[in-house]
Amino acid sequence: MNPPSSSSLPFSRDKMITGIAMVLFLAMLTFFLLYPVVDICRLSFLKEGKLTFENYLTYFTSPRIFRSFTNSLYVSLLTMIITTVTAFFFAYGLTRTTMPGKGVFYTISTLPLIAPTIIQALALILLFGRNGLITRYLLGTDWNIYGATGIIIGECLYCFPNALFILYTTLSAVDTRLDEAAQSLGASALKTFWKVTLPSAKYGIASAAALTFNLTITDFGIPVVIGGNYSVLATEIVSQVFGLQRFDLGATISVILLIPSISAFVINYYLTRKSYALISGQARPFLQPSRPLKKWGFTVYCGLICSCILIVFATVFLGAFVKTWPYDFSLTLKHFDFPSLGAHAPLWTSFWISVLPEGTFRTMIAYKYAPIWTSLLVSIVVAIVGASLTLLAGYIIEKKKPKGEQILYTLSVLPAAIPGVVMGLGYVLAFNKPYFFIYGTIWIIIINIVISNFTLGVLTSIANLKQIDKSIEEAAVSLGSGPVSTFTKVVFPLSRVAFFSTATFFFMRAMTTISAVIFLISATIKLAAIEIIFLDVDGRTASANAMCTVVVAIVVGALLVMRLATGRSALGGMVSSKQPG
Amino acid sequence: MKRRWAFWMIGVLTVVFLSGVALAQEKVVVYTSLETDEVTEYLKLARKELPTLDIHIIRLSTGELGARMLAEKANPQADLIWGWAVTNLEDFVTKGMLEPYKPKGVEKLEKRFVHPDFQYVGIDMYIAAFCVNTKVMKEKGLPMPKGWNDLLDPKFKGLIAMPNPVASGTGFLQVSSILQMYGAKDGKEDGWEFLKKLDKNMGQYIKSGSRPAKMTAAGEFAVGASFDFVVAEQKKQGFPVEFVFPVEGAGYEVEANALLKGGKNVGAAKKFLDWAISDNAMKEYSKFKYGVTLPGIPTRPDLPKLSEIKLYPMDFAWQAKNRDDILKKWETLFLK
Repeated sequence: MNPPSSSSLPFSRDKMITGIAMVLFLAMLTFFLLYPVVDICRLSFLKEGKLTFENYLTYFTSPRIFRSFTNSLYVSLLTMIITTVTAFFFAYGLTRTTMPGKGVFYTISTLPLIAPTIIQALALILLFGRNGLITRYLLGTDWNIYGATGIIIGECLYCFPNALFILYTTLSAVDTRLDEAAQSLGASALKTFWKVTLPSAKYGIASAAALTFNLTITDFGIPVVIGGNYSVLATEIVSQVFGLQRFDLGATISVILLIPSISAFVINYYLTRKSYALISGQARPFLQPSRPLKKWGFTVYCGLICSCILIVFATVFLGAFVKTWPYDFSLTLKHFDFPSLGAHAPLWTSFWISVLPEGTFRTMIAYKYAPIWTSLLVSIVVAIVGASLTLLAGYIIEKKKPKGEQILYTLSVLPAAIPGVVMGLGYVLAFNKPYFFIYGTIWIIIINIVISNFTLGVLTSIANLKQIDKSIEEAAVSLGSGPVSTFTKVVFPLSRVAFFSTATFFFMRAMTTISAVIFLISATIKLAAIEIIFLDVDGRTASANAMCTVVVAIVVGALLVMRLATGRSALGGMVSSKQPG
Repeated sequence: MKRRWAFWMIGVLTVVFLSGVALAQEKVVVYTSLETDEVTEYLKLARKELPTLDIHIIRLSTGELGARMLAEKANPQADLIWGWAVTNLEDFVTKGMLEPYKPKGVEKLEKRFVHPDFQYVGIDMYIAAFCVNTKVMKEKGLPMPKGWNDLLDPKFKGLIAMPNPVASGTGFLQVSSILQMYGAKDGKEDGWEFLKKLDKNMGQYIKSGSRPAKMTAAGEFAVGASFDFVVAEQKKQGFPVEFVFPVEGAGYEVEANALLKGGKNVGAAKKFLDWAISDNAMKEYSKFKYGVTLPGIPTRPDLPKLSEIKLYPMDFAWQAKNRDDILKKWETLFLK
């Protein structure tokens, strides 16, 4: 539209800046994502510098280590089935019935996202452990939940909101008039469900199943706490590396874990795209009042699931405040004086040492609370850096479409396919060298968390940028705005909500993540979520509960701040972010 | 609006960046496998007596700490090891990962606990012990066990916990003492046969030496194989527990300090190592440990007298040499 002469200058400058940004992104993802993973693969095929399959032979011929593979598959498949089915009916209740309290049910169902995964395991042990409130004192049985049962129940609770997001979006997007048409043509309610509702949601169902499978097989927090002697791939990697110093075997198991997790990710990714292709523009939210039986049936069902989720949180909170679970339920704050060594947090420790008088209170605040402060600091930086980088990457991919944009896109969505433990081990192998000065500092942890969660951030910003009309940008450019100011003055303000929602997501992940960073913490840098595991392993369950409570409180605080800042629920923003472009 | 945000972000990032740098004290990074409870107490004293040191410390189980140091071999992140099993240190001596250092006052220590070339310096010993929950025993009508053999009684099925020797030093000394008792040094397999029988009754192998005692105190098991002072701590806290030192002979381990080769803060590390064998430090250790290597310091009164316990004569050199093979075999046999 513009005469070529006037646009040629900004056009070339624009291209140059995009090009530079693109190269920087590619370099960053290659170095911090591909290099560690490639390093793991390399190590798994090497023995004393020679190419060999010996590690794989060791793996498949050692019945015990190989068991971790079948164990993982068993746990993940069962979790997948249970979670998908329960979440489907929950989503059905939310979208296809006129039951009361939908908002409350929905909010409660998202709670597992705000806590480290171990919260599920901690609660289950308090209730159903050898000394559990229910197993030992209410039922008086010797049965306990350690092992596969515990892992499966814990993972179901943790995966539930993730599966629900997908199913909820699928079911609310499919045109309900199809159901009505089927019923008015004389199909029974059950027949309508089987022949119309279920088939129309099939891609969503499969995608939720694949995601659940992926989340379960890659999780470390739940099996490490409740698994007992039952080993799965993720815990096996950590124990090979930490316990036996077998980095080669750890790398080998990592490669084996990559196979099912990448497959599940690819299936999920492919199906989600299909599922959104089915979404009809004609969909409309109107619902006919449900029959009372259906309505109240679903209310009870959703209520039951929500109470399970609430019980988990309530148990852990209570466990943090009572003297000796389950003998002495008098309240105390002593578990918040963490019986751990704590750490030096940057600034925090020196600040409190200069302010407070010497004594046990100062030690508690300055040292023992340091991991919490470090976690908070890491999370804030991760939120800002992560949200900015993913917004920019999304902008380049969606709006600029330079050459090689497809490569950048693929690299950006890849992190979700790489299990946390694999990323963590990869970072140790790749970056623990004297010349990588960031190793052993807070920065390696920040980079690791940003890269590990890059996928969802980029997908959110792409989805959001699709909604910004190209003509607004064109108007800015034709009014003389350069590429940088177009981005900062036009695109960024329009993506503010998406930015905040991504920032919240990064913040939550940084506060609660365990699997990758457990390899990266050091004597200098300790994180709150990891301290929960250390406390638990040390037999300090009550203090582990207390630390968990603090982490949840911080995340809830952050969510409230975000809500005040943007005027909408940050978790609500997450829902839309689950839709890839 | 936008500018304010930019300032805010830059501000946060700068603060984080700077905070990694500015600290007036001398930094020293300490790795330890001493129990968290004791280290918390020792550190209070250390921070008071070494005010110029900025002590960064991480506590991991014996096996995990070893793995971490091996992983970091090319780029050591720690300066020194404080209170780590001699069995494991022997392996590090062979691997050439330690720097000989003769700390001030080392001549006062008992010679047999100090490495002849000062590769490491022993500070204390700890002894394997069972933590028996008397309340659970009564509920289930179980006979008081006197030693490992009594635990083979089928009545104990599922009621025993033991540390996983791969992660825990306590677990290793228990397994190793059983193997040595049954003639593993002469190539006999009887020790493994015993462990297989014991495995039939085992409720859980736990990746910590102290947790079996804590879980038993909480009532999760009847007997937790653990070590001396953890049991004493549980008793002190009022849990219904008793000590049992296995009649067959209780395994023990010596813990020692060493300077790591390639550490970045050698000066500060030496100051810490000097302090770590000082009279005051030793007195503090003796509030927890059975014996410290500085003669003349009394043991804690709430532990049974050392002369009443039958110690098994552990062969540390044999253990150190066979550690990897023992652990590999143990894992294959007993982990599910």
